[in-house]
Amino acid sequence: MSAPGPALPVLSTERLTVRFDGKAVLKDVSLEIPFGQVVSIIGPAGSGKTTLLRSFNRMNELMPGAKTAGTVRFQGVDLYAADIDPAEVRRRIGMVFQKATLFPKSVFDNVAFGLRAKGVEGDLHDLVEEALTVVGLWSGGAEVLDARALDLTAGEQRRLSIARALALKPDCLLLDEPTAALDPAASAKVESIIHALRHECTIVLATSDHTQAGRLSDLTAYLDSGRLMEYGATQELFTNPRNERTESYLTGRLP
Amino acid sequence: MSESRGARAGVAIRGPIGAMGVAAALVTMAALILLAGVLLVEAREVLDWRFFLNPPSRVAAEGGVGPALAGSLWLTLIVAAIAVPLGVGTAVYLAEYAPPTRLVKAVESVLTNLAGVPSVVYGIAGLALFVRGLGLGPSILAGALTLTALTVPLVVVNCRKALQAVPDEFRWAAFGLGASRWQVVRDQVLPAAAPDIVAGCCAALLRAVGAAAPLLMLGAVSFTTFAPGSPHDPLTALPTQIFAWAARPQEGFLALAAGASVALLLLMAAMHLVLFANRRRRKGTLT
Repeated sequence: MSAPGPALPVLSTERLTVRFDGKAVLKDVSLEIPFGQVVSIIGPAGSGKTTLLRSFNRMNELMPGAKTAGTVRFQGVDLYAADIDPAEVRRRIGMVFQKATLFPKSVFDNVAFGLRAKGVEGDLHDLVEEALTVVGLWSGGAEVLDARALDLTAGEQRRLSIARALALKPDCLLLDEPTAALDPAASAKVESIIHALRHECTIVLATSDHTQAGRLSDLTAYLDSGRLMEYGATQELFTNPRNERTESYLTGRLP
Repeated sequence: MSESRGARAGVAIRGPIGAMGVAAALVTMAALILLAGVLLVEAREVLDWRFFLNPPSRVAAEGGVGPALAGSLWLTLIVAAIAVPLGVGTAVYLAEYAPPTRLVKAVESVLTNLAGVPSVVYGIAGLALFVRGLGLGPSILAGALTLTALTVPLVVVNCRKALQAVPDEFRWAAFGLGASRWQVVRDQVLPAAAPDIVAGCCAALLRAVGAAAPLLMLGAVSFTTFAPGSPHDPLTALPTQIFAWAARPQEGFLALAAGASVALLLLMAAMHLVLFANRRRRKGTLT
């Protein structure tokens, strides 16, 4: 995979349809995610936000009964081609899940896991500390590395799960409901991390909080019942939605 | 954790359902104490250290469980050495690798059914297959292979449950970080399921150690003057020894049967210790 040119979209889907046991959860979705942008996917519960996110790094195929049709490209390369290693895809396109799901190990082991799986040898401390610094969990004291991940607060756990994905230095970061179930202070911290990360990588986030999409993203996509209803500059979509459903959703009048 | 448990127990004892639970627990414990007490009283005259080493004798007072104890130890070791790797490997394949095809589902349901087959049926199969078919005769090896056939499905069923109890989110988190399937299984799923896997293997082995029926079918000897020194020596084991002594009309042999039962319970208790150690370790590292 070659270096991204600014004009080329980093990620794109073409007529993407994902079915679970025959039931279509995403229908004919075509969109382009430009390099270096923060893109939000909003929509009601069950609209397919998570499934769209998971189709970008081939996580859907881990669910039994999942079938993907259409194409997903990363820097122009078909991600679902036969010769593509899904593990490599997931390293380049990192993901932070809705639940932090940390491993019942130390903070260090959690961040180092992806590096070790990739086969990075030698001392991993620099890489781990770098990732922890980005999410504000590194203050120079070694004791945090040995702390048990499950002893951290909910907000710290979420930030650790972001650090875990960042340690692999992904080109793209997929965030599924990054602040779900966090208190306002912890949410604000996570949002400031996302804001700072936009210079490092392209970010796609799924959120059921559309005000968050408004605060963080350059572009916003509105999904409804698996269909892409509207996609464009966040400010335009929020102030002047072209689609009736988008407007109903944003104003809280969706039945 | 212990605090909330104590609180829960306190609440439970107050209600009528809690009282029934306590009563049930007391009855179970009383039955266990009664059983051990009866065995010890019956066996009081034969139980000394020589009893655990001596071979059986025509004279009841001189008999011992030496060969039978050695036979049971042989059986346990061989069964564990074959059934645990085979069973755990099969469970890992079925739970983590196998696609949910009809064939795989059929294999799973066959294994579940095999785990419930009465042990005496394995005895008949073992007689035909190992004793006669392979010409092993009524040897320790034939007994061990028969008990292995009985144990493997249990190990598979228990370990598959242990693996399925690991939440999928763990697997996704590891896959999401670019791990291969084997890395996910080795580094996350197996460590998380390890305590339940050990417990499942122990439970299956305990069933094999206590099985008398299949070994009787194979032709286990109840009178041998030497302890088996290799897998090709004649098959003898504690459960069959208990059965043989209990069936004799002469005075004194019932005490020997009770003594042999104590020996069998001690062997099983030793295996339970492994479970306890394992449970303590789990408390130390997880949750």
